[in-house]
Amino acid sequence: MSTAAAQRERASDTATTEAELLARCEALVAEALRAGADEAEAFATRAEKSAATFEKGDLKLAHVDDGAAIGLRVFRNQRLGFAATNQMDPASLSAAARSAVALASAAPADAANVLPAPRPIERLPSLVHPGLASYGIDEAVRFGHTLMTRAQAFDKRISVDGASCDVSRVSQAIHTSRGVRASESDAMVALSISGMAIDGGDVGGFHYASDAVRDPARVEHTVAELVQSFSSISVGNLASQRAESYRGVVLFSPDAFLDLFVAPVLSACSAIAVQRGRSALAKRLGERIGSAGLSIVDAPGDLDLAGAGSFDREGQPARALALVEDGWLRAWLYNGYAAAVEGRASTGHARGGARSVPGLGAHAITVAPGRGGTREDLLRTLGRGLLVQRFSGSVDPASGDFSGVAKSSRWVEGGAVVRPLRETLLSGNAFQLLASVVALSSASERVDGSARAPWALVDGLNVTAG
Amino acid sequence: MTSAPVSDPTDILQEALAAAPGGFVELRWHAKRTRGLSVEKGRVDNATAAEHSGVGVRVLEQGTFGFASTGQLEKGAIVRAIGQARAAARASAGARRERVPDLPAVALARGRFDAPGVDATLARPIEAALDMLLEVERGARASSSLVTSASAGYSEIFEEKGIVTSDGAKVWTRTVRPEFRVIAVAAKAGEMQRGAEAVGVTGGWECLFEKASAAQLSDKAAKQAVDLLGAAYPEGGRTKVLLSPALVGLLTHEAVGHTVEADFVASGSCAAGKIGHRVASDLVTLCDSGASEYHDGAGGTLAVDDEGVATKRTVVIRDGMLESYLHDRESAARFGVAPTGNARAWEYDDEPLIRMRNTYIAPGTSTLDEMIANVDDGYLLDGASNGQADANGEFMFGTREAYRILKGKRGPLLRGVNISGSAFEVLQTVDAVGRDFRWDLGSGHCGKGQPAKVDAGGPWLSCQVVLGGRKS
Repeated sequence: MSTAAAQRERASDTATTEAELLARCEALVAEALRAGADEAEAFATRAEKSAATFEKGDLKLAHVDDGAAIGLRVFRNQRLGFAATNQMDPASLSAAARSAVALASAAPADAANVLPAPRPIERLPSLVHPGLASYGIDEAVRFGHTLMTRAQAFDKRISVDGASCDVSRVSQAIHTSRGVRASESDAMVALSISGMAIDGGDVGGFHYASDAVRDPARVEHTVAELVQSFSSISVGNLASQRAESYRGVVLFSPDAFLDLFVAPVLSACSAIAVQRGRSALAKRLGERIGSAGLSIVDAPGDLDLAGAGSFDREGQPARALALVEDGWLRAWLYNGYAAAVEGRASTGHARGGARSVPGLGAHAITVAPGRGGTREDLLRTLGRGLLVQRFSGSVDPASGDFSGVAKSSRWVEGGAVVRPLRETLLSGNAFQLLASVVALSSASERVDGSARAPWALVDGLNVTAG
Repeated sequence: MTSAPVSDPTDILQEALAAAPGGFVELRWHAKRTRGLSVEKGRVDNATAAEHSGVGVRVLEQGTFGFASTGQLEKGAIVRAIGQARAAARASAGARRERVPDLPAVALARGRFDAPGVDATLARPIEAALDMLLEVERGARASSSLVTSASAGYSEIFEEKGIVTSDGAKVWTRTVRPEFRVIAVAAKAGEMQRGAEAVGVTGGWECLFEKASAAQLSDKAAKQAVDLLGAAYPEGGRTKVLLSPALVGLLTHEAVGHTVEADFVASGSCAAGKIGHRVASDLVTLCDSGASEYHDGAGGTLAVDDEGVATKRTVVIRDGMLESYLHDRESAARFGVAPTGNARAWEYDDEPLIRMRNTYIAPGTSTLDEMIANVDDGYLLDGASNGQADANGEFMFGTREAYRILKGKRGPLLRGVNISGSAFEVLQTVDAVGRDFRWDLGSGHCGKGQPAKVDAGGPWLSCQVVLGGRKS
């Protein structure tokens, strides 16, 4: 079969798969209603995966898979029950329906346990690139091998602990007794590499890099970018020295800025967290919570990010939502449950897969760039202090307190990086420090293929040298 | 949820193996059934029964591994998956630089192994757990006017496995791992603090609440949240600390355990080349075991690993000297040692990786009071949160509570902060090991590409670390 023919076959497979999943969902919803549910929602997925993993600079395993799952949420007298299975025979699906209804009989009633009504979905262009449709284990092995060998060739001191390439095609479908009905497919190439540089007895700090793309034309470029960032940072981690303890300004990479400052904001913007008294931002909607220039948007229509999609886990339209604009807190994230508590519409932020009850979260976060210039400009603005490229630690979602290790960190003198650091700890409070963002770089960067953020200078950090 | 199949699943695996002969083949039927409940502020957020079952197939063909899976415990489907795994191996063999060596001959497990508590847990109605959660969550909120929110969760993972390999394993295992967790959030004057307690075991309901009842854990979480309001931060820097058994568990798991996993060792972890070398104070003996040593119920307990190798206790560090790494069959062949039973897969469609089981530091002779009395200036740290470690041994993990110790006296509660250090350097500073042992890391998961249920623990330990405090 020619490549073009294979691609055409794969494209029709996607449509067929979605139709099969929808039919399966429809049948399961009917089964649940027969079993005694008042309302039922079935969400089904099929995932085809070809993956190559590499360890110790050599191929470890070639993995092919084709798996399915279906999750059933039911409400009976406003009581919740949920069951999931990967067994698609009629007896197993019938057992899942009975199990979900039985669980719903045990739980107390909750007036917000209602399924959302159908709303128009604005379909994104296809997330399955025709050129990616025919990719399989051969491509996974080739791209993974290229990633690993180029990193090793970058510098002989590089030790690749692990590398992988996953080619995945995922189809999903939802059908509910309220009339919600939607399906969509997605295909991606995901690449990752991890390891360190070793020079004699000096084992440099561990580092990893990953990305995911939908366009096959971008795979080679993505491999090159990953090799460059992983290898240069890993080699740069050698000969690390002690930092200096201080309280003041720190420069954060986009990755570290997202982990430390944006993730707690997203947790606190959960409408459920607000409703239940565990959001530190609960009383601050409409107030300034961050420095001027800080804007955080959830953008599920951004096709360059892994979380792109036309609808959420409840089949509600996924649309762009500005959470923070120029430092002002503008919105909460709602799924169907949180929306029902307040008698309003969902913002389309139900998240999760077929194996769990719909949760709540963002799809594809973008932090807007600022006016601070390039990374080098921000280094000059910092002058002297700490540059953090990765954060390994914990942020308390309630208080915003964080404490952890600055990984792949560098000491900056005279506006330039002068040495790598070891055992450097950071602490502070994410919510308080949002108002201390001194500058953001003039461009945002993709982080792991799932978000965008700029480099950020933040004041008020506690830096403790080991 | 049912406990099917009632007949031995290895029989059908054996039939499939006979129908697709040739080379090394490993078949693992892995049925995972979970029940999960969570409540917050009197509302049920989760009431789930889920099943994820199928057969994972790993083959060794042309000197490399291929893996495929099927959701069906059916001979034809398994034979097709064997063919797909072989095709994947052949397609990738050209990228393999060094062929996988012959797997070491080892007495592979045969028979049936049931962990304690399986039948009793499966027979227990889920309504009992839901009633308990609603009660303890309500109790946490009622314990103080400062508690603004509370949540509680219960889950159980029932796993049934049948493992058959072309070189002799034929084993059927059943395990259940229940887990309970409670979180309380307290607020005052714009400040918000969180208290959390969690417990997870390999065993039944009685084992889960053997050390403390759900209500006691809930009270403790609520008290922690309230007490932390207004608590000061410790000062940062390198300091003497007394680590609780939970934190010793994190230290052994994160800081040492990962660096002695043979795949990390082969990549150049800080433990590479150190067998027979001193890596810790002579007070330190550190082990990883498939059994629940000292006390029943350790969360990572398993009789047989996912390659069909019977688990055993592996002494990693004996009296301060590095003695062994943790191996699967492939790494054991490469290192020329016997496998240690550390190959584990999270679900049927995951391949086995080298993972820890129950990792611990063996108890010593000191009482906690004696250890506090011997600290001139330092901190007592308790309550484990998350933790991570790099291959170079640099680790960090979170603590929930800290107390300053000055001249042998314990001071007031301070906020917990993260601690960091370099594994073997920290272990060299150990100058006292407590005598009271506790498993304390059975809830949650270890992450290494796949999750894994593990446990870790030990006695109280006196050592030096870097504390991520705040400058006043």
